[in-house]
Amino acid sequence: MRVLARPLTGIVWLSSIDPAAAHPALQGVSGFTGGLLHSLLLPSHLIAAVGLGLLIAQQAPHGARAAPVAYIAAVIAGLAALALAYVPSFAEETLLACAALSGLLAALARPLPQVMVVALAAATGLSLALDSPPDAISLAAANRALLGTAVGAGILLVFVSEGASRLRRAWQRIGLRIAGSWIAASAILVLALRLAR
Amino acid sequence: MQSHASQLLDAPLARGMTAVVLVTALATPALAHSGSVAGGFVGGIAHPVFGPDHVAAMVAVGLWGAFLGAPAIYILPVVFPLVMAAGGVLGILGLPLPGVEIGIATSAVVLGMMVALAARPPLWVAAVLVGAFAIFHGHAHGAELPPGADALAFSAGFVVATGLLHLAGIAFGLLARWPAGRLAVRSAGGAIAIAGLMFLGRLA
Repeated sequence: MRVLARPLTGIVWLSSIDPAAAHPALQGVSGFTGGLLHSLLLPSHLIAAVGLGLLIAQQAPHGARAAPVAYIAAVIAGLAALALAYVPSFAEETLLACAALSGLLAALARPLPQVMVVALAAATGLSLALDSPPDAISLAAANRALLGTAVGAGILLVFVSEGASRLRRAWQRIGLRIAGSWIAASAILVLALRLAR
Repeated sequence: MQSHASQLLDAPLARGMTAVVLVTALATPALAHSGSVAGGFVGGIAHPVFGPDHVAAMVAVGLWGAFLGAPAIYILPVVFPLVMAAGGVLGILGLPLPGVEIGIATSAVVLGMMVALAARPPLWVAAVLVGAFAIFHGHAHGAELPPGADALAFSAGFVVATGLLHLAGIAFGLLARWPAGRLAVRSAGGAIAIAGLMFLGRLA
């Protein structure tokens, strides 16, 4: 029953996401909590982090440490750029491209050079951070939101990669590949939609 | 090979089937290709689930994968969404693809026939065949992707629904381990092929 509960919980949770407008899940939630929930509640951030987490888990032990470190460092760098009033362009499109690549590589499940996984982790972290400008009206609240975003994005990746790395059975590894293909397909479609506009 | 396949999928099958039931219960009706779709993840889930032509073809992919055994049982469900996304890009970009609806109906006919005839081509042939039909399904979905910010949730919804329909087909296809089940699976393939012919007839 417990194994049934996990995917059901995931489906119900995904169904509860209401992404009808940009960053709608964060309306009414600000500061550290808003930043913390940012990556969890935005579909593009969620699939990018999950796709990267699956890929890192697949590639372990190669890049098992370096990739998350690169990701978190890039998140911090991106958030620091936002704090310095940098206005990014095409951050979400880049994030979707990273999600598509991560998902595709996870679906292919081939051994990759460590530098490639690390570079992809850094690109994902940077674009995720740059796509997370806080809505706060005060500098203090904005900084708290940025801090929450860093913590939330980091926890999400570590949680997914650590959880997925424990999936050792053949069918579980196949499940990772199928999930990767779903992430890649979703990201490619939306990326095309964005670029077609 | 069959025992390997069943060992591979017994647990996820139970999860997938339960998830199919749940998401079907949660989904709100949206007619496939009507041009009017509900937004968000649930709308995306409903899109293929409530299109009988999509359902028939997706289930046939799963049935055939289970019939062929490993590695087709998981290669086909990986290939399909990836190629479907390529077809979806064509639809989103407005690039015309002639005979989309005919291609979708034909996919039910051909894939159903493959199951009914217990066809065992090389894996790459099966993958190319499934991938070719995935382009038509993807084009239809892509052309109707809502332009709003909920596009990602919508596309994730229909990709997941597609995968769950594959899983439903695989679940049923694993009955082929037993002689009576093999007959049932081949009969289901035949029924899908006949349904595909009816879809084609409506288009004529």
